[in-house]
Amino acid sequence: MGMNWMKVRRLLKILHRDIGYLGVGLTVIFAVSGIAVNHIEDWNPNYVIEKKKVIIEDIPAQDEQKITDFVLEKLQINEKVQGWHKTSKENLRIFLDGQTIDVNLNSGAVNLETVTARPFLREFNFLHLNEPKKAWTWFSDLYAVSLLFLAISGMFLLKGSKGMIWRGTWMVSVGVLLPVLFLIYFS
Amino acid sequence: MKLVQLIVVLFFAYSTGYTTETKNFGQELTLKETTPISEILKAPKDFMEKTVLVKGRVLDVCQKRGCWMKIASDSEFESILIKVDDGVIVFPMEAKGKMALVEGTMEEVEFTMEQTIERQKHECEKEGKEFDAAKVSKPDVMYRLRASGAEIEM
Repeated sequence: MGMNWMKVRRLLKILHRDIGYLGVGLTVIFAVSGIAVNHIEDWNPNYVIEKKKVIIEDIPAQDEQKITDFVLEKLQINEKVQGWHKTSKENLRIFLDGQTIDVNLNSGAVNLETVTARPFLREFNFLHLNEPKKAWTWFSDLYAVSLLFLAISGMFLLKGSKGMIWRGTWMVSVGVLLPVLFLIYFS
Repeated sequence: MKLVQLIVVLFFAYSTGYTTETKNFGQELTLKETTPISEILKAPKDFMEKTVLVKGRVLDVCQKRGCWMKIASDSEFESILIKVDDGVIVFPMEAKGKMALVEGTMEEVEFTMEQTIERQKHECEKEGKEFDAAKVSKPDVMYRLRASGAEIEM
């Protein structure tokens, strides 16, 4: 019996170690993204959105193409226009790659909005929030199962008083109790 | 290690269609014929609970959660709101200005007076217009499309 338990523990150690290694990349992605989206009320975890306001005088009362050319020339923007739409009688919205320009045709007030994806975070959040769906759903399920395995196997790696006989039991209990206390507090 | 992570992320992003030109969101489109948005907005009650396919340029996208976007109508000054459940479909901000095909069911949303003022104020701020709350006389009723799927030319 004792010998069998030793073999099981040795196998658990090997599996715990290797699954742990395999999970490093995903754990970093999920943890970093988790912190980022946890604070979504305070910031945009995916994009940096810069807004600028300028006034352009004497916007010609012409068709949208000519107004667009005029505005871009005034703003010294030399980029391909994706399209435009008159959102109201006095507002023309012009689209460039990653940039939106709202032009008030009456007042000449121009609002520029530039959207830039946050490097790495955008990709991390894309994966963490399961935007891809499809095969990624199954792969992330597998990762979740492997985390379960790491948590459970981790309890049985050490024997003696530092294992589940004493220290382990106490610390696992504290870990379980903490979310329960939060639940009681917030209920 | 960072290089390995980058390769892993890029591989999965690529394999899941993150970099393709036309990106699909949600369920596959089932309708072939589009209904002009102007036609829907002219008589929205006629389209309630009906499944329609609309096409138009993406005017705006929910900045934080990607849970809605606005599609330009084929008529000036008009647009339709496309709503999805949080997390089920996530529209990226990169979709702004791109052409989109969206399939979904029309629904009606009634706002309170307070919500109406807040919405109109926000719209005016966005377009740099002055807002006068006294001019708001009745609560807004919005007709929007509850999307089941979309294709966006990225």
